[in-house]
Formats: sequence, structure tokens, C-alpha cells
Amino acid sequence: MRAWIYLLAAAVAGGIVTTPAIFVLILLGGSFNDALVASLATLMLASGLAVVTMRDIIRCGLAMIVCFCALAGLYVTLGAAMVAAAQVIVYIGAISVLILFAIMLTQDKVGSNRLVFQTQAAPAAIAAIVVAVLVAVAVAGTNWGAVAAAVGTATRDLATLLFGSYVLAFEAVSVLLLAAVVGGVFLAKREKDVG
Amino acid sequence: MGIAEQLNTYLTLSGMLFAIGTFGFLARRNAISMLMSIELMLNAVNLAIVAFGAFVPNLQGDGAVIALLVMAVAAAEATVGLAIVIAIFRNRKTPLVDEYDAMRR
Repeated sequence: MRAWIYLLAAAVAGGIVTTPAIFVLILLGGSFNDALVASLATLMLASGLAVVTMRDIIRCGLAMIVCFCALAGLYVTLGAAMVAAAQVIVYIGAISVLILFAIMLTQDKVGSNRLVFQTQAAPAAIAAIVVAVLVAVAVAGTNWGAVAAAVGTATRDLATLLFGSYVLAFEAVSVLLLAAVVGGVFLAKREKDVG
Repeated sequence: MGIAEQLNTYLTLSGMLFAIGTFGFLARRNAISMLMSIELMLNAVNLAIVAFGAFVPNLQGDGAVIALLVMAVAAAEATVGLAIVIAIFRNRKTPLVDEYDAMRR
């Protein structure tokens, strides 16, 4: 019985990913690249919604990993392969694992049975929809001076920029990371006299 | 012109993901859920930055570098935020933010 439920869930997930691709390819006559972007965008938004609405917080964390994977795919279609690699390594490899560990450290047994949302969930949903609509209107109404096709960045050019004109920011970020790691260890450390 | 060759596609997507993160941050009760929503918002902004870097000629290359720096800052934020949540959990024994009410009683 349970296996059927999982199969059904897998079929629904596959449908969510492939339906927009088929729609774009056949009905809108788009290219293969368009179909890929439509699939990845749908996957990203669906898993993002799952992150904020699902009851079991471990599943929220796993949905967040799916969302980060879809974003890495979008970075590849934008020609930023280095950013996509960093997305996989930093977000999926480090931050997601950190968050999953923190979830396992902080959940009590009855936690998932209680209310998931605060009482202001409905106003929050309205505010979020207003934000999305405002951004969409602003995007549609502005001329960004964009070219007609995405231009990728070669890794060599990126390295030249990162260690050339952005070297001060690079060093500042490295100091910030060191300070954050030391601070995190200090905060999470169990104090001996307090227990 | 297909949807993959337009800046507006990516910017609208980024706005939608940011809105999802906003909703999660305002509505969830669990502190770690709120941190996950913040990660979603940071990723949405990163998508917008990378899209600008790919489509706007003046920002060629800068977008990818800024996105990498944003990722590093996000990692620092996640480290400190989760450490704070774990430290509070050790004192209050709950991850729910509406039960952190020691300063308004």
C-alpha cells in the first residue's frame, strides 16, 4: 500500500517537471533551451513552496536541496558555470547539511504535530503576493538595456576579476567567514559552569 | 524570442522565489524554517544578480563575482544563525519562535 503512495508521489513529481517542458516545446514552439528553463523554473518554485508549507521540517530541508539544485541548473543555462558549481558545493554541500544537522539537534518529539504557521499567516501570504506582483510590474515596466541572449563568463575572466578589482571584497569576505566560524563555535559551545 | 533568452523571465522568477521566502519568514513558527526562508530569499537575489551579469553588457563578469561573494556571506549568516538557534534551544527547549517571550513578560 505504501509503495503505491510513493509511486504516485514520484509520478506527480515527474509530471510537475515534464509538463511545462512539453507545454513550451509543443504548444509555444520554443527551443529545447526554453523547455529546460521552464522545467527548472517550475521545479524551483514548486520545491520552494514545499519548503515554506510542508509540515515535517526534515522534508522542508530536503525540498530546499531540490530548490538549490534547480537554481544551479538555471545558473548553467545563464552561462555562469562557476557560480553553478559554487552553488552545488556551498549551498547543497555545506549550508543544507548544516541546516539538516541543526534540525536534528533542535526538534522535540511532538514538534511536528503542532501548528506550523503563526497566526499572521494570511497577512503574510497577502504581503508575499504583493511583493511578487510589485516585482513583476517593475520588471515588465523597466528597460534594463539587456542584450538578446545570455552571455556566459569564462572562468579565467572571473578569476581575473575576483583577484583583480574585487580583491578587497574577497579578502573582507574571507575575514568575515573566519569571524563567523569562530563566533559560531563560541555560541554553540556548551558552557561548563552553566551546564 | 524564447523565454530562455529574456532577462525578464529570470527577474520574474527571482521575484517569485523572493516572495515565497518572504511568506515563509513571516508565517513559519519554527526558527530553522525561518532561516531556510532567508536562504531562499538570498538565492532569489543571487539569481537576479547572475541574470543581470549575463544579459547586461556593462555588468559582464561582475554579476558572477558578486554572486560568489553573496554565497560566502550567506554561508557566514547560516553559521551564526544556526549557532544562535541551537544556543537558544539549549536554554528554552523549543524551536518555536513564539515561545521565545522572556523579554516581554
